[in-house]
This record gives sequence, structure tokens and C-alpha cells, in this order.
Amino acid sequence: MEPFYTLRPIKNQLEKLNLNVIGYSREDSFGLGETGAMMNPRARWALRNEGDIILDIGYGVFGAQTLNLIEDIDQTPELKVIAVVNASRPMTNSLDRILEYVKGLGRVDAIVANTHMGDETTPEIITAGNTIIVEAARILQLPVIYAAIVEELKDQYVNNFDFPVKYIKRYMPSAMW
Amino acid sequence: MQKVIGESKKSFMTGNEAAAWACLAAGADIMFGYPITPQNEIMHYWTRMAPKYGKGFLQTEDELSAGFTVCGGVQSGKKAFTATAGPGNVLMQEPFGMAEAMRLPLLAIIQQRGGPSSGTVVYSQQEVALTTYGGNGEGHRIVYSTSTHQEIFDYIIKGFNSAWKYRFPVFILGDGYQAKMREPLEMYDPESRGIEMVKSYPLIGLGGKIGQDRGPSHLCNIYSLEEELYEVITKVQAEYEAIMPQITEYEEKQCDDADIILLTHGVVSRAADDAMKALRAQGIKAGYFRPITLRPFPQKELRAAIAKSGAKKMLIAESAIGQFDRLVKQEIYGETIKIENLFMPGVGIIESDLIDKVKSVL
Repeated sequence: MEPFYTLRPIKNQLEKLNLNVIGYSREDSFGLGETGAMMNPRARWALRNEGDIILDIGYGVFGAQTLNLIEDIDQTPELKVIAVVNASRPMTNSLDRILEYVKGLGRVDAIVANTHMGDETTPEIITAGNTIIVEAARILQLPVIYAAIVEELKDQYVNNFDFPVKYIKRYMPSAMW
Repeated sequence: MQKVIGESKKSFMTGNEAAAWACLAAGADIMFGYPITPQNEIMHYWTRMAPKYGKGFLQTEDELSAGFTVCGGVQSGKKAFTATAGPGNVLMQEPFGMAEAMRLPLLAIIQQRGGPSSGTVVYSQQEVALTTYGGNGEGHRIVYSTSTHQEIFDYIIKGFNSAWKYRFPVFILGDGYQAKMREPLEMYDPESRGIEMVKSYPLIGLGGKIGQDRGPSHLCNIYSLEEELYEVITKVQAEYEAIMPQITEYEEKQCDDADIILLTHGVVSRAADDAMKALRAQGIKAGYFRPITLRPFPQKELRAAIAKSGAKKMLIAESAIGQFDRLVKQEIYGETIKIENLFMPGVGIIESDLIDKVKSVL
């Protein structure tokens, strides 16, 4: 999402899961006016933190350009750029569009197959979409490291691909967005 | 027209993306705009897609210019549109007024943000008064208030047709939540659904000799005499009233036996629908009424729903302090049903807010 403000409502909830969320909470932003919608300065220096660091970027058409805002982004050997691709999104709903999209991101090291349709996701939608993603990954010579699937479908989904599934819990629906 | 969508397909996207795709599917030629949150991604996606389909875009120096260039675009025969929010909507009221005066078929997508002034970049329903009756005119405009991404897509397609068929400016009234959240919708090429898109045509620079080959194309927004203006405005009002039944749209559920009617518009209607069902499950007879067009307003239909239900109360809920409430009251003047209010300016209204309010007033 657009973490400058859309992540605010669930920041505290995520922190209770022992995640260190770099971004403003509702309380931090209160009274800041227009500056409350700015990037938290700690995000610029995010790579100086210890431990595993996830940069959730790519919202909107500027995509991976957001990485330009991060210090040391081109001097961090541990950095992996993973394209999370949902074949239900209009910009990535065909083989040609996925190829164009991923190539447009610049450096990409791997792909996560993330085909879903929100509350209307079915195993059939996932399998059909991820089949296209696998073909795109083959052409791009990138590994698909896992599929992200909502935990509600754990009993219904049969994984016939040669990459693992990570079952996920969706938090954003509780954030009004 | 080049096919944009191809085979009808369900997609998962933001409301802003849905708006940009709908404009493409509707055959829009050009967007004029100036950036403002929360509508920015309409511009972003349009500028990404437009070159692939031979479409145009111009970012102007401000919203006044964006509004006036849309006015110019449609006069040249192009399906032109803009998108804005908050203070941008305020600035655009001057060109929108010109569009009313000159009967220009522009389309504007309004993604409401908090106000007054810069307010918040996030969400509100505080642009109802501005979008329905803004400017120094008589509200001769068509305003669709959407509640889902599917409706954003559907009503933008319908909106271009309403604009070019009836020659009134058309507004798609969304909000920051609809703009930013993601949900599935079915995108389609209008023709595949049997929807014939009204062809655009130039309003000026026409060929032939006036009086011999054709009549004059007299697009006027200023008059010398008071009586002249009176005559024109009276004629436009009559034309607007004549087309009202063909344009007016609403949604009504469970009003037949309702003790209380939930009256909302836009994204708040999603919460009202859920609240109505939850209240029914608890034995409380709630009904649901939602104007889809705020201009023209479905006043006859709302009066009929009140009459047939015999409801004693109506709860008007909105993310503003009474802008929608005032609109409703002027439209149903004389009705004696007791009106309760839930006003939450600039913040979202969820199912539990409505359920709690209903229980507190019944």
C-alpha cells in the first residue's frame, strides 16, 4: 500500500506481532498537517537497521523508483529485489504485460506469485494466474520463490507448482482502504 | 474504436485505476489535469496508458486551467475529462459553471478529500454541496455518487454518454477511500455489453455557411440583458427537468415494511447495506435507500419509499456535517417522517456506527 498514510491504522497491530514498522502512526501524524503525509526520515536510513528488513515499495505507477529514496540501496550486497506479481491486476494480467511490467522495474532478483482477487479469490483464479506468472518467470530467467495465498484457502488449494506456498493473513481490510 | 479491454475480465485494482481504465474503455480522447491527492493515480495511470492507445494528456499550471482546457477540448469535438478533489474542485467551479452555461459535455471525476481548504488528503463526503450546486449557477449538472469500483467503471462509461447525449456536465463523485482501496471489478468494452457510445462532435469551427448550410453554433456564457439571461436559464431549466426521469437512479432495499430507513450515499452505503442486514437479523426492521444520482435527485422515488414503508424514522448518515442531509430535506420538503442524523465529517462510517445509532433512536 502507500505506507505514507494508508498503513497508519494497522501500524500498532503489526508492532504487536514484534515487527518494527518504520512509518508514522496515527498518533505521530496528528497535528502535523501536510507534513504528516511525508516519508518518515527513518525510512531513508532503513538499511542501517540490524536484522531482516522488508521495504514494501511499488504502489502506484512510480513502482520501484521509490528505491531511489533509500540510502545505500546500491551498496547493500544482501539486498534482494522481489517482484510481487498478481495476475488479476490490469497491468499484469497477461504474459506480455507481466514481461513489460517486470522489465520496467529495473533490477529484479526473483518473483513472488501473488495472484488473488481479494475476498473473491478462488483456487482456480490462483492457478490460472500463477500459470501465466510461471511462464513469464521462465522467459525472464527469474526464480519464482513462493506463492502467497490467503490462509482461508489452505484446505481448498492444491499446489501443483514446483515452488512452495506461504499462507498469509490479510490485515489491510481492517484499515478502511 | 480500438478495443481496450478485449474479452470481459475480472481485475483487482484501486478505484483510481478503475477510473483511468473506464475512461479508456469509454473512448475518451484526452485528459487535462493538475495533481491533487487522492485523485493523482487517475492521472498517473492515464499517462501510462494513453500513449499506447493514441490518447492525449496535458498537465496544466493549475485547476482553473485544467477546467477551462477541458471546456476547450470538448468544444473541439474531443471526449475530454479531468479529475480533481478538495481545493481543486473549488477552483474548477468557475470552468464547470462555464460548462453549465455553454452546455459543454465534459466529465469530471471528483475523489473527495477532507475540508475545508486543504483539509486532509484522505477522505470525506464534504464535496456534496460543491459538486451538486457549486458555482454561480442553478446546478444544471449530472452527479453520480458511486459506492464500488464496479460503479466507478460503469458510471464513467455511462457518464460520457449522458454528457454527450444531454449536453450537461457530468460528475463522478467518489472519495479517497474509493480512490485508494483495492477490490475486484469486471472490466469490459461497452459494445460487448450492448452499450452504444455516443459519438463526440465538434461544437465550434463547423463547416458551411451560417443561415444557408446550417444554423449558428451559439455557445454563450454572458448576456447583455437581464431578460436574455432569464429566457436562456428558464429554457435550460425546462430541458433539465424534462430529462430528469431518464437520468435519475437510486437503489432501494427492504423499505416495504421498514420501521426505519437508512439513507446514505456513496461509500457509506456499503456500511448501510451491511447494517440493514445485521439489524434485520436482530429483528429490527431497517430499510435502505440510496440516491445514485445526487443531481438530479430521486425525490419522487424517496417519497414513495417513505410512503409505502410507513416508517416513522429515517437516519441520514454521512461523512460531513449535513451537506447530504440538507440536499435531502430540500428535495422531500413537506414529508413528516422524523429525521435522525449521524454526521462524521472527514472520517469513515462503518456498520457498527450505524447499528449503534439506530438502536439509540428506536
